[in-house]
Amino acid sequence: MTDSTPHLPGQESWPGLWHHLAVYGSSWLVAMLAIILGMFVSLLLGLVAALAAGLSFLTIHRLLRQKAVADQEKHLVDEQLLQSQKLAALGKLSAGLAHEINNPLAIIRQEAEWLLFLCRQSEPLDMTEAISGLRQILKQVDRSREITTNLLNFARRQQPIVQAVNLNRLVGDMVRLVAKETEQRRITVVTQLAPDLPSINSDAPLLRQVILNLLNNAMQAIDQDGTITISTQPTEPEAILIQIHDTGCGISKELLPRIFDPFFTTKPQGKGTGLGLSICHGIIERLGGTITVASEVGKGSTFTVKLPITLTPKEI
Amino acid sequence: MPTGPSILLVDDEERFRQNLKKMLTAHGLTVTAVGSGDQALAELAKQPYDVMLLDMRMPGLSGLETLAILKKDYPETEVIVLTGHASVDAAAEIIRLGGFEFLLKPCPLEEIIAKIESAYERKLARQERPG
Amino acid sequence: METFRILIVDDEDDFREAIMKRLRARKMEVAGANSGPKALEMLDEQEFDVIVLDVKMPGMDGIETLRAIKQKKPLVEVIMLTGHASVESGIQGMQLGAFDYVMKPVALDDLMDKLRQAYERRVLQLEYGRKNI
Repeated sequence: MTDSTPHLPGQESWPGLWHHLAVYGSSWLVAMLAIILGMFVSLLLGLVAALAAGLSFLTIHRLLRQKAVADQEKHLVDEQLLQSQKLAALGKLSAGLAHEINNPLAIIRQEAEWLLFLCRQSEPLDMTEAISGLRQILKQVDRSREITTNLLNFARRQQPIVQAVNLNRLVGDMVRLVAKETEQRRITVVTQLAPDLPSINSDAPLLRQVILNLLNNAMQAIDQDGTITISTQPTEPEAILIQIHDTGCGISKELLPRIFDPFFTTKPQGKGTGLGLSICHGIIERLGGTITVASEVGKGSTFTVKLPITLTPKEI
Repeated sequence: MPTGPSILLVDDEERFRQNLKKMLTAHGLTVTAVGSGDQALAELAKQPYDVMLLDMRMPGLSGLETLAILKKDYPETEVIVLTGHASVDAAAEIIRLGGFEFLLKPCPLEEIIAKIESAYERKLARQERPG
Repeated sequence: METFRILIVDDEDDFREAIMKRLRARKMEVAGANSGPKALEMLDEQEFDVIVLDVKMPGMDGIETLRAIKQKKPLVEVIMLTGHASVESGIQGMQLGAFDYVMKPVALDDLMDKLRQAYERRVLQLEYGRKNI
């Protein structure tokens, strides 16, 4: 078998390749190879940067946590739980990462080896083969880049993506989406949307999550028969208010301060995860706003969200 | 000219599979390529193979599950496991314990060919030994 | 106007074909899939910018498909297509990374708006990734 094996591409001599390029005048091929090499190097650098970002994020976070523990012992359990979830997620991510990156790298390596092999042959280069190989290399680099971009997003806890958002329309959409369920529960939803509300620069999908969670919370508080009023209005310099009022059971004064804590719930076990309002709180903070609550037992609750008209992305 | 080993290549990544088959064939080797563990077992039921190149992480029947079946039903086939994973996890340990060879992706073609050759030699040596 | 690549995933053939035709009339590059698994298969073969995904499909439903899409291609934007949704399922879709919901029957202008916004978000996200790598 060994004697029938031709030269391996790994033993390719560089002069041979240059000679081939000179003969067939494929200057574009040189350019392409240079571009690929550049992309490949930047991919590796990106990977290192992303991992470093992830690690420094964890270090800072740990320091902050130590301070918080001293301040608020009662939050200890929740904090640790969240932290271990984050670490578990990071561990899982990096385990999968090796595999996800090595697969495209394996193909890139193959294509390059095959191109070298073809270039070294005495007959003219089959351009269709060469182009197919180069295209594949570009495709695999894109695939790897999508993975590293994703990793970076994770390390930065998914930075909000800022776009122009028509808040009235967003609220109206979400109310219509759940209209069937509110009808079934004989809950009237009243919208009072300020016609002069400016468009805001924020993250629309995150805001949809907040509105749906607040609608869900209001509906759970009412259960059957009642009214949810949702309003928007512009407010003092460069901000807008969203208010969601329900005629539900209300929350006692003692429990009110804990309402945004993760896993805190007044609902019976199995009804609601106790994460909805803490998710809202987390999102609104990331969007540079505030969320507050006023409530009276037996009368209902009002949640007030205040958002800046323009969100300037915060660096972590 | 001596006949080379019959090789069965199992990898769900289509381009990788096709490329490797093309390159091994260009180096005078005989390769059958399939895209899943199930297809590999179906292929083995049809005819014996000397050397198998097996990807570890595949949807459906995973590499690990395929390995367990191979060890039991086709002990005469030499298996080289391909993995994109660093060799620190449980799967790598099992591969080593099972006495399987393995290659970390991405690896140079000559390394793959060298592994195939030594696996084939091992198989021939085993067959020559009586009992 | 910029064109981008759209994939419509809906098991109702008539509905899917009609939407595709109308979007093509607006010079969009549109492909269709009649099931979640089919959509995932197509996603392996070609790039899409925005996916319009029916929530209610036999077999693999829209939420399951959304989860699989986001695992495979986290930066592809997905617009969920639905009649009415329960609040729970709406929250679930948004938490899994959907961009928005569009209600059936679909007003084309409304859909076009949302497609454009979803595409803009994808471009921003890709740019953000590039800048920070």
